[in-house]
Amino acid sequence: MSEGRGMNTTKSKTIKRVLSVLAAGCALFALPKPANAQEILLTGPLAGAPAVMKLRLYREARFEFAPSATFTLLDEYQRTILLGARLTYNFTDWFGFGAWAAYGGAIQIPTHLSEEIQTVNRYRKTQEPNSLSNRLTAVNLGQDFKDQLGSIDWVVAPQITLVPFRGKIALFQSIYADTDLYLFGGPAFVGLSERKDCAAEQCTTPASFEKASRVAIAPTFGLGLTFYVSKWSALGFEWRGLPFSWNTGGFDVAGGGPDQEFPDNAISSEDRRFLFNQMLTVSLNFYLPTQYRVSE
Amino acid sequence: MKKSRVGLLVAVALGILPANGWAQEDAGEAAAGEQAGEGPAEGEGAAVEEAVTDEGAEGEGTDEGGGLEEICKIDPAACPNLDMEKEAARPLREELYAVQQIFVIKAGRFELNPFWVVTLNDQFVNHPAPGAALNFYISNVLAVGVNGAFYRPFNVDREFNFLVRRAARVAVPLTEYDWSAALNFTYVPAFGKFAGFSDFIFQYEAFVVGGVGAISTRPIPVIDPNNRNPDFEPKLAFNAGIGLRIFFNRWFAAVLEIRDYMFNDKLENLSVVAGSEADPKTWTDQTSFTHNVQAQLGVSFFLPFSFEYRLPK
Repeated sequence: MSEGRGMNTTKSKTIKRVLSVLAAGCALFALPKPANAQEILLTGPLAGAPAVMKLRLYREARFEFAPSATFTLLDEYQRTILLGARLTYNFTDWFGFGAWAAYGGAIQIPTHLSEEIQTVNRYRKTQEPNSLSNRLTAVNLGQDFKDQLGSIDWVVAPQITLVPFRGKIALFQSIYADTDLYLFGGPAFVGLSERKDCAAEQCTTPASFEKASRVAIAPTFGLGLTFYVSKWSALGFEWRGLPFSWNTGGFDVAGGGPDQEFPDNAISSEDRRFLFNQMLTVSLNFYLPTQYRVSE
Repeated sequence: MKKSRVGLLVAVALGILPANGWAQEDAGEAAAGEQAGEGPAEGEGAAVEEAVTDEGAEGEGTDEGGGLEEICKIDPAACPNLDMEKEAARPLREELYAVQQIFVIKAGRFELNPFWVVTLNDQFVNHPAPGAALNFYISNVLAVGVNGAFYRPFNVDREFNFLVRRAARVAVPLTEYDWSAALNFTYVPAFGKFAGFSDFIFQYEAFVVGGVGAISTRPIPVIDPNNRNPDFEPKLAFNAGIGLRIFFNRWFAAVLEIRDYMFNDKLENLSVVAGSEADPKTWTDQTSFTHNVQAQLGVSFFLPFSFEYRLPK
């Protein structure tokens, strides 16, 4: 009996130890764990529903024709308003391909800085030609500074359009409009007028301040907002980046000295500076066919 | 007794075992968002309509199955005498809100908005700066608050100025900023929501803001840098702007603001007065009405974090 009691005691101790270890183990498991997302099993009509139902597909299988006015930003010497249009065919509601083309030769407005420079320049031209100021600026300033300014004359940009965001906006909680936010990008062909190249010692003649045209190829990209005002029309606002190198002032700023960072009395491609050109576009968009499809 | 204690310990340990929650399947997530007030961009009305239809159908079944019939048996006078087809065909003139449920109630809450300033219209000197705004929302669409920015160590005199001076021998008066502070009123006329990739939904709102305050500026000496060293001086500044706020949740948002700070700036004298080079009164001679247009990129924290939702009707 005593042996049996002893065995029972041993077994009891073993069971207690096992249970204690289990309890401790359970307690350890009870330590805070990273929480997973809450489980919500919907069984009603919303179960399995997409984020958006009955979506008006303004773009899918439709052409977008958007006459536009584009305003250049942060201009150094001259502002340009480009008049043009964008034509896009939207294969789906989120992907389209098209092109933007605009003409900037019609409206070019010199900045206040250009006017200031020309005011000083006009005064200097009345002074002794061999004065220090005239000699030091002979390569850089012609008779009228505004005539030598670089300008964006036209742009043609084939581009793809992605529309990741679709939604709506409520104005004063009474007027509402469907909207989308889109991204676009592609190569741009930019028609530029810049002061033409001239070799050293030949850049002080009036003819050397004339401009020449060239085409710059640059990447272009940006984002825009569309506010749909009817089934077939919308208002659009767009920001566009168009970085490339050009000589905006017609100045000799580089090409000589160490690292070619000093003037060399010549006008060449060395005098072009890389600028992150930016533009804002306002457009009135038309969609064809005039009816849109509605998603499930 | 000991067994009881061990048993209790085990029971307690088992009881406090954390239950794992699992994320819902993708297909249901959007619908869950809808239930939480994140209505879909387009299908809100449709979804609600479907829900109502379902409820109606359910209720109808119950009535036909017993409830309505029982009432008619007990009190025929109280028995509803409706032609259901006629009722169903009747046009609904229910008032619908453009946005049924506002995602974030801001009335009575504070908004803390740290931001970074990016200069938009000064091609000569960039004025980046850290800043912050604190607004109190009197109503859901109107707030009063203060904001400020600290520019002094961050002003950047661009290389472009040097190139112009060297090429044209024309000096442009330059200005650097120290700080700005303003009392502002914010009005939120527009809000809405976007569905991203037809998968998730986020809320946004557009606002206009305006106010009055001061900005401390001084000319950067260009004409006579050896003698001139003007101090910063505060100037009265008015501001107006527009902004966009994108909500990540009910208390945290990203904010983009375009603000124009307008003030009369004192510019450096373009000529040196012989014999009075060291006289600070001769260092400036003109004022210019200046527009400092800047983008303010930041985040917003709404305090308190939670709010009590009251249905609009």
